Amino acid sequence: MPRIYFKTAEAYVDFAEGEEVNVLRMAIRENIDVPWQCASGNCGTDRLVVEDGAENLDPPRRRERARLGELVDEGYRLACQTYTRGDVTFSWDPDQVGLDDEPGSSSGGSRAGWAGTG
Amino acid sequence: MADLMSHSDFRVALEEAFSGTMAKDASFSRAWATGKLHKEHFVHWATNHYHYIGPFGDYLGLMYANTPDHARDAKDFLLQNMYEEELSDDRHTDLLIRFAEACGGTRAYVQDRNNAMPFAKGMQGWMYYVSGRENFVVSSAALIVGLESQVPSIYRTQYPTLINKYGFSEWEAEFFDLHITSDEIHGERGYQIVLKYADTPELQQRCLHYVREAADMRFAYTKALYQTYVEPDLGPWVEEDEREPALVG
Ligand code: FES
Repeated sequence: MPRIYFKTAEAYVDFAEGEEVNVLRMAIRENIDVPWQCASGNCGTDRLVVEDGAENLDPPRRRERARLGELVDEGYRLACQTYTRGDVTFSWDPDQVGLDDEPGSSSGGSRAGWAGTG
Repeated sequence: MADLMSHSDFRVALEEAFSGTMAKDASFSRAWATGKLHKEHFVHWATNHYHYIGPFGDYLGLMYANTPDHARDAKDFLLQNMYEEELSDDRHTDLLIRFAEACGGTRAYVQDRNNAMPFAKGMQGWMYYVSGRENFVVSSAALIVGLESQVPSIYRTQYPTLINKYGFSEWEAEFFDLHITSDEIHGERGYQIVLKYADTPELQQRCLHYVREAADMRFAYTKALYQTYVEPDLGPWVEEDEREPALVG
């Protein structure tokens, strides 16, 4: 069975072979304490470092790329936006807050909206 | 009368209650996923969908009013769900209209109730009925487990087709991208509310009944979309690949 290992919480979730599952949904289902707020790619509170198994994740879509910006290239993913089909290991800072709420933060992209487009 | 099920058995029963008639297997959804639809079909889809999910905030508001104070986590979940539908990001119905406009439709056309099928109005009426009249745990089972939690499985198939086959931009198809993930979480939290508060055999059975009814309603509605708008152009739906599910409308 494929396994999502939430290393910082020292917890894991197994799921059925052949399934693709949303990472944040699985954490919520099993009461694993991953920080999150909006569940829609806006806040960045649920950014996780992919320690292992990146090849099993679906590629980031538009909202996630916009929110994370250069953090995508540093190996971050948003739990709410990410699906996995195989083993993967994540870690995070248990005290992290949303990307716009970090004091003096210049990391990451911007809110996932489309200001100035369309 | 059935016995009280454990949380894990009840969850499996809820999943089984809608798995036989999932809207992603209806003819309109299959034609969509296999690239057969034209842009005017999408305008009709968006118009009907607007009248089906447009009042979702209203449905949630009725459920909120029916939820007792002691179920504070359930009330907070409904309030947050309402906020996310309407205010936290782009308003979800505006994203739907954006998609319709990309297909050649207009806001006025989409919002005109006269352009919706009777099935869409029936769906809307059913949702007002269940959210306004049923116990909050039963309406949560019907609307959130039975309907909202199905959305990711539908849009995860349809979204890549919109981009890769129909040629929409990510901006035009934002409505679908947003719902793939937000409804995963809404659906999961809906499960938690239902598992926690359906604490008698009667409530559990009533939840299962309404989840089945919700799945049947959505399946029939999706099938009617095909029959009303697509069948005159493409003929009756025939599954090309016999290995695919044979649920056709
Ligand atoms: S929870 Fe806000 S971006 Fe995922």
